[in-house]
Order: sequence, then C-alpha cells, then structure tokens
Amino acid sequence: MRAATIVVAAVALAAVLSVRSGEGQTYTAPRTASGQPDLNGFWQALNTAHWDLEPHTAAPGPVLQLGAAYAVPPGQGVVMDGPIPYRPDTLAKKKQYAANALREDGEVKCYLPGVPRVMYMPYPVQIVQSDSTILMMSEFASAQRTIYIDGKSSPPADTWMGWSNARWESDTLVIDSRGFMGGTISALDPEGAIQVRFLDRAGNYHTDGLHVIERIRRIGPDHLSYQATIEDPNVYTRPWTISMPLYRRLEPGLQLGEFKCEEFVSDLVYGKYQKAPAR
Amino acid sequence: MRRAGFRIRVGRRAAGAVVAAAVVSLTAIIGIAQDPPAAPNGSYKVPRTPDGHPDMQGYWTNLTYTPFERPRALASKPFYTEQEAMEAFKRAVADTTDQIVHYVNSDFGATPVQTGARPNPRTSLVIDPPDGRVPALTPEAEKRNAARVAADKSRGPLAQTWKDDRGTVWCVFHDRAVPAVVAPYGSNYHIVQSRDWIVLTYEWNTEHRIIPLDGRPHAPAAVRTYAGDSRGRWEGDTLVVETTNFSPNRNFYGSDGTFTLVERFTRTADDTIVHTYTVNDPSTWTRPWTVELPMHRINGPMLEYACNENNQDGFATLKNARAQEEGRLAPMDAVKRGDAKATITEREEQGAAKVLGGDTQDGNK
Repeated sequence: MRAATIVVAAVALAAVLSVRSGEGQTYTAPRTASGQPDLNGFWQALNTAHWDLEPHTAAPGPVLQLGAAYAVPPGQGVVMDGPIPYRPDTLAKKKQYAANALREDGEVKCYLPGVPRVMYMPYPVQIVQSDSTILMMSEFASAQRTIYIDGKSSPPADTWMGWSNARWESDTLVIDSRGFMGGTISALDPEGAIQVRFLDRAGNYHTDGLHVIERIRRIGPDHLSYQATIEDPNVYTRPWTISMPLYRRLEPGLQLGEFKCEEFVSDLVYGKYQKAPAR
Repeated sequence: MRRAGFRIRVGRRAAGAVVAAAVVSLTAIIGIAQDPPAAPNGSYKVPRTPDGHPDMQGYWTNLTYTPFERPRALASKPFYTEQEAMEAFKRAVADTTDQIVHYVNSDFGATPVQTGARPNPRTSLVIDPPDGRVPALTPEAEKRNAARVAADKSRGPLAQTWKDDRGTVWCVFHDRAVPAVVAPYGSNYHIVQSRDWIVLTYEWNTEHRIIPLDGRPHAPAAVRTYAGDSRGRWEGDTLVVETTNFSPNRNFYGSDGTFTLVERFTRTADDTIVHTYTVNDPSTWTRPWTVELPMHRINGPMLEYACNENNQDGFATLKNARAQEEGRLAPMDAVKRGDAKATITEREEQGAAKVLGGDTQDGNK
C-alpha cells in the first residue's frame, strides 16, 4: 500500500518536474570568463515559505502586541510532493515545536539558519562564483555557505550551514550538503538550548540526519529555478522536495547590509543573568 | 597533573618541527619585505583569474609572533638581520605560554607556529611612524577615552549585561577582522574572487568582507557598520581597498569608528600576500599610521566559526557575576587558580552544580 503510494507520488512528481523544468528551456545562461553558467548576483525568494513551507491560511502572529505587522500571511506552499512525510511521532513533535516556536526556533536567537532555509528567508542571498568555489551569503546573521565545485571531501565536522560539494550538470548546479548541527550544545543554559533545527517558522524541522540536494539553474536574465530535496531518516519517511523561483534584486549598487542580529537578541538570551537589559 | 605535563610536552615537540619548516623560507621573506613598497613583488609574475585580475584566491594566515607595536628598545631598528629574525622567532615560539586554565593551545594545533606563522624581518607590524608605534592621541581623543574608561569603571568589576567587556567573548563582530589585527590563533583568511567582487572571509566569527570592485560610490553616511563600507580597485597587481562608514560602536586604538582605512594587497610570491594598511582620523591621532602584515598561504579548508550558537562563555560570565554578587562564589582574587569563570564551570563539571543554588561544598563561599 505504502509502496504503491510512493510510486504514484513519484510519477506525479516527475510530471510536475518536467513541466517546471520546461520553463525557460530556450534560455541559455550567460557564462563566466571560464565558461560556467553565471550565477553571480543578489537573489531572493518572494513567497511565504519562511513562514510555512506547506500550504497555509493567514493566521495571527505569535506576539499579540505586533498585531497585523507580524501576522502570518497566507501561502500556497512550496512542497512539490507534500504533505511533508512525517511519521506519526515526528508529526506530533512538529506540532509541539510549532506551539513553542518563539523558544525553539533558532531564527529568534540569530542562530545560523542552515540549508535550505537560508535560501528562502526574507533577505537577499549574494552569490559570488569562482571556478572552484561558490559562496552564497545571506544578509541574515551574515550566514555564509562555502560550496566546493567537484569537491569530494566528507564534512570534517558538523556545522550550522553544512558542508556542500557541488557539480555542474549541464547548466544546473547540483549541490549535495551534509554534516549539519542538529541543535545547540549549550551546557550552561539547558533551558535556552534548541533541540532541533527549524526549516520555517511553523515548526517544520530537521535533525543532524539532514541531507539536502539542491538544483539551481538560470531560467532567465533575472530568475533562478531553485529546488531542494530534503532527506532526514530521523524525521521523514521519504525524501521530499521544495521548488520555487528566486528573483534577482535589481536595485543599482545593491550590497548586502550588515545584519549582526546577535546584538538584538542578547538581552533575550542572557536576560535572566543580567541585572537589567543592556538597552 | 600528569596529564597536563603530557599535553605540554606533545605541543612543544610539534612546535619544534614546524619551526624548522618555517625557517627555511626566511631568506625569501626578508628579500621581499626590504624592497620598497612601490614594487613589492619584484620580478614575480602574479597569476591571473579567468577575468584577468591578479589572483589572490585561496587560504592565507597573518598569524605572527611579531609585535604590533615596536618595543621601545628597538625604536631605531625597524629590521632584524636574518640571524636576529630567526633567533627572535625561535625565542617567541619557545616563550609561548599558552597554558591558561582551560586551553593548551598547542594541543589544538592552534599556536601561530603550528598554523603558518613564519619569521618576519620586521621588528613590529606598525611600520610608520618610523618608531613603529601608534601615534599619540589628540587631546580630544584623550578626553573621549578617559570618559569611556570612567563610564566603564563606574559599572563595577562584574559584567552587568552582555555589553560589558569583562574578559569574555561576544560574537556580534570580531574586530580583529578589519582593520586587521593579528589574533593569538585562528587569524586565517579564505579569499574568493569573481569579476566584480572579492570576498575575504576571516576565520574568527566567519567575518566576511564582500568588497565590490565595480567603482560604485560609498554607502550613504547614515549607514555605519562594524566592518565598514569597503570599495576595491585594481592598481596594477595591487588590490586597493578603501573603507569608511565604520560604526560608532567600534573602538580602534582610540577611534570611535571615525577613522578611514586604505589597504593594499599585493601577491609577492605563490605563498605570500603583503597586506599594508593606513588608518587616519585627525580627531583621534596626531598623524596617519601604517601597518604591514605578511599573509602566508596555508592549507584549507576553513571551517565555520559558529560563535553566537556556542557561546558558553557568555553564560558563564554573567552567571558567575551574579553568583559573586550574591556571595555564592568567591571573587576572582580569592580563587586559587585565578579564574572565576573556570571555577564555576569546573565545579559544575564535577557534579557540584548546586553552586548556583547556594549549596557550596568546598568552602569557597
């Protein structure tokens, strides 16, 4: 029964993928000086995936005082083969995390957001591309991914942004990322430690079992096709895939702003050990 | 105790092997550094990127044993002889006393000599003024700094909030990244270039400087940042970077972010970039001053430095401060090992976690 469902899902997914990948098939990406498809620039998602990867209706936000300014906008979702395939026990955990999102979500504490989350947060991502290395840098928390083209190394240690090797498949950059931290190692503040890593503000989560395969391709002068297949046997029954366009930020002279958000949350994180807030 | 002795011995042996390796290349380095800065790379042909720019990419370190400011005894001696430089280097390696309470840096392969530092013929990193020292502060800056010190002192010896610098490390910005001031370890860089950008990622706190090379103007004056606003351009084989708009939260040798910075990076050999910079702030210093830092090639990769995510020191500092105020922890000078932070951490590790609940067990109250 389950096998049959997976086959049906896979066929449906393949159909969707072929339709989507048809977009801009006539478009040929401009090349860097050494002939690689040129991904340089500032890119940003324009959707509500950072609120909830799955389809969702509008809802009040988590902080009463912020009213409509921080209410949850509605969204169609970006999961191609949803719902996200939680097991019953991990689905229950997801709901629990969602209910305690202000405490459990690393975004609130300015922790490095990880992958793929960093790619669809509401901040620009700058790509700087050389032949051997691609840097993807988000404005949020100055998060940085270092992506090794044709890299073969295994992750030397678990990190917050993971270890990424990539290859060019024709015009598509295929990035394979592993070696993710599953939460904080905080020993001195067990109450403040986070147990898992959120993929959005809705409590969708992963552990240190995460493995992500991303496919990034130019589909026009100002658009990237972005897909990420997410695997974590600690949480999901099968791999699942999100898909969205990323849009080029066109403002002349744009550069990443400096958003050192730790200073905005330190009173929150360390508050109970302070005499008064620092500001 | 036995364990500690073993750790130190291992570290020294490893360090000795690296000294031998580092000394081999001294002659070449001396030849480079004594050339005038106008043609610092001599006959070396700088490799090019596919875009035709000088190729600075890869992993580099500016770790060194050379002091930032010159010892006064050497005021009129900017350069060592080759033999003196080697002796100074060996002496510095041997004198590395990195055995503070919790860390023996050599255990982690983290002393400068283990991670790429090489002998330097210069007797200081500050190369101008000629005495190798940061110039005198202006009266205005003296006054400003006295007020800052007084305000800080009025807050008492213990950290009241995360903003109080009481010996701990906060992760907002690692200010050795720019202007470059050599750290005791981990002072490493990864450089990546595209046609229009050069990115210098500094290992501590993964501070990246994303520098445009397309000739754009500086950011508006209202936008002030910890890392400042950098603009780069190629002048022959040299990358020139001008940085302004530093945050008023910075304090660089007495300047509250009102200084300007002009840097020059020149690759002078396959394994060396000479990095010089000049800082200027007429409201702070009586004259501009200049630093020269050799950057030496090291092996990658460079790992993520997740500082905020792992900042145990922040919790320890504030918890200990509150515990000391409430008499539940001895003040620093009464703790035999001299490190109050270490003391509370150690007790917790030993299962005496009740310290914070007022249940001290070792008479240290």
